[in-house]
Amino acid sequence: MENNKVRLNTDWLSACGGCHCAIVDLHEKILDVLGYVQIQRCPVLTDQKDYPPADVGILTGAIRNEHDRHAAEKMRKSCKSLIAFGTCAVYGGIPGAALAHTREELLDRAYRNNPTTETSVPPGEMIDSLEKIVTPIDEVVDVDLYLAGCPPHPTFIFDALLALIEGRAPKAQDQAVCAHCQRNMDRCDTDRIQSYHEGIPDPSLCLLSQGYVCLGSVTLDRCLAPCPKNGVPCTGCAGPTMEILTEPNRDIRTEVADRMARLTRLEQPVIIKAMERSAKSHYSYAMASRMIGEKSTFLIRKWIAEVEESL
Amino acid sequence: MVHVEINESGCRGCRMCVDICPTEVFEFDEPARKARVRESEDCIGCLSCSYLCPSKSITHSDFPVVKNFYRDLQFCRKKEAFL
Repeated sequence: MENNKVRLNTDWLSACGGCHCAIVDLHEKILDVLGYVQIQRCPVLTDQKDYPPADVGILTGAIRNEHDRHAAEKMRKSCKSLIAFGTCAVYGGIPGAALAHTREELLDRAYRNNPTTETSVPPGEMIDSLEKIVTPIDEVVDVDLYLAGCPPHPTFIFDALLALIEGRAPKAQDQAVCAHCQRNMDRCDTDRIQSYHEGIPDPSLCLLSQGYVCLGSVTLDRCLAPCPKNGVPCTGCAGPTMEILTEPNRDIRTEVADRMARLTRLEQPVIIKAMERSAKSHYSYAMASRMIGEKSTFLIRKWIAEVEESL
Repeated sequence: MVHVEINESGCRGCRMCVDICPTEVFEFDEPARKARVRESEDCIGCLSCSYLCPSKSITHSDFPVVKNFYRDLQFCRKKEAFL
């Protein structure tokens, strides 16, 4: 039977490791998967340093240094089909948010002048140095399938793996996070934008209606909406919806402003301006991807400069 | 003929589709707090509702397709590979 199993390699590039934990979060369902899958290389489960030939490869994380690039190429060569797994692999994710600053600024903040710890010098010879920019993996190697999410909810992982095993065509579902949020989208008299730390949101009412900038309506649902259900505005961790990615004239801030203006007494330009002031948070997960980074409406450096000038 | 469908569990009751539809395809079910398709036949396939729907829960079928010359074609090709 062992020979009939689907051989799986996984690897972990520039990412937090949460995606690998999400695979383990399948809990008992992982036993169903293991009936069909032979895990060969997996940094958290097996001590396999090499890249044995495999049917399916799962790559998590973005490419930030030479090791990442080398590992991505090795994975591509060893696997028949390769899945970009998690937001970092698909769009650059949180490591990609570093694009808002130069490499020197990052090293300075993290090692030389870190305000929260004793500072030192950046690590030198022992590890690979940072590449100039963060790259989503599909710009380095060919990717067959994408599963966004930070991390993707085990429901989606299980469906995706079973679809692959059973050989059915994977279905792109493009509902937004709002589809699984239980809050009512009612119109309100709210006339100011609330910061995340202000007040306690009404548990039954949409966060946009209450003046909180929630990205649920512009974010692909790969999470089943745990944050907005529990009173935390969505930060867009699974990346933007298909409309925003495919259409250059649609953008995260304009789409949110459109809906928020319909639900509150706030004017669209006010919402757009407020979102530009905190753009690093709203665009962090997908700014390294060309689909967002090269949009003519995406002006992150300008917005950061404006905020710094006003301080 | 264009066919419109609302994924009921995804509807958050914001009424945006009711407001934006130029041909009044939708109506609002007050007790259930959900939008319903009143008359699918009236749909002209402008897709305004599907773009505006916060949860992306409105789908159209059999609508006339025009070539979207302004689309990001690079991503459109990738979209098919999204799980």
